[in-house]
Amino acid sequence: MELDCLGMRCPLPIIKLAQRLKNYPEVVLLSDDPATLPDLTAWSRMTGNTFEILGANTYLVKKLGEEVL
Amino acid sequence: MSTAGTVLRVGSISADFQSEKPLHPAAAAFLEDAFARGWADPTKIHQASRKTALLLNEAKELFASHLGIRADQVEFLSDPALGFHLGVSGLMKGESHFFYSAVDRSELFTLAELHNGQRLAVSLNGETSYPIGRSEDVLVWQAANGETGILAAAPLEFAGRVFVDATASGPLVPLPPSWSTALWNSRAWQGPAGLGIFAVAHRSDWRNPLPHIDHRVSSFDFSIPLAITSAIALDNYVRDYKEQQMKLVDLNAKVRNFLLTQIGDVDIAGSLDSTLPHLLSFSLLYVDAALLVNEMDARGIAIDSGSACNSANMEPSHVLAAMGLLTHGNVRMNLHLDASEESVDHFLHILREIVAGIRS
Repeated sequence: MELDCLGMRCPLPIIKLAQRLKNYPEVVLLSDDPATLPDLTAWSRMTGNTFEILGANTYLVKKLGEEVL
Repeated sequence: MSTAGTVLRVGSISADFQSEKPLHPAAAAFLEDAFARGWADPTKIHQASRKTALLLNEAKELFASHLGIRADQVEFLSDPALGFHLGVSGLMKGESHFFYSAVDRSELFTLAELHNGQRLAVSLNGETSYPIGRSEDVLVWQAANGETGILAAAPLEFAGRVFVDATASGPLVPLPPSWSTALWNSRAWQGPAGLGIFAVAHRSDWRNPLPHIDHRVSSFDFSIPLAITSAIALDNYVRDYKEQQMKLVDLNAKVRNFLLTQIGDVDIAGSLDSTLPHLLSFSLLYVDAALLVNEMDARGIAIDSGSACNSANMEPSHVLAAMGLLTHGNVRMNLHLDASEESVDHFLHILREIVAGIRS
């Protein structure tokens, strides 16, 4: 499942990601917002989910933790 | 005659939690007098000059006693930011390595480019691991962080020279025993803006990094009346802070508890016992900080934010990012000395309502 948030400013990418994870166990997030990397790090810690960097502006996010939003 | 400035009020409740504070009322009351008596050149021998010199010396004694330095070490800078360059570059020698923290002020990041500095990582609770270093190395020690209020452990193991950034902590954190240079900002104690206090511990360690023609540390012009006013502000601020400190701790604890139990999904910077009690930074998950600041403002409550959408360059706070804290939905709360339980209750009530609206 790919979620294109290119051009969106914080906190929209994280909000859209959390909504999308309601129905999908994994999401590939595309985001070029400078806050996305630090916020994915903090969000993962706060919610128990996890992510890895696939490439420039591309993140693989996996739902492990709590239901979000 | 200047007055103490305007404080936002909702009915009788002060609702100003932004970082800027008006001039301390005691200093504001003295301002006209300072200009009437402190206008002359203190190096001349006329009566007016001797009066000005006397006032300036009294001011230096006040700064010295509250900041933990000698009166002859007190230097004034009309641009406080210049003190970062004087403090760091003045200690650098050919072989020196420069160490600074990822949560230091951005002025120090530009100096790090100049000196090929090594940025030290910071843990989630805001602690920087300091190196041992060599005697010629230079380290920045930020006594307290201006955004989060987090207090740093003194760099007791560091073998080199230490530049102390006390611009946020003012008189509230003592200098470490190994300090070499130090910088304060008059605004930290509700003094006038546009005044920095700079000190060098041992003149033999320090070289003036700017073009200079004599041996003085600072040969810049500065406003003597504002320096005197700042000393009055500092003297009163220290006394007021002592009186209000327990109240600030209680209010800070109340906000933290409310955020965790009544609002939730919140990332709070540092613990109460590791921060200055009048500062608090927290980030609310899934909340747009620009929207929050605007809606709080519409309800008469002033707060600051370190989120990208509130910054000039649209970059999130480097302090939050370095600590691994959530950068969106950030609120910087400054509990001023006149903050009351009533004003904090009012703030929390409105915050809960607005956050619930934004999150729904």
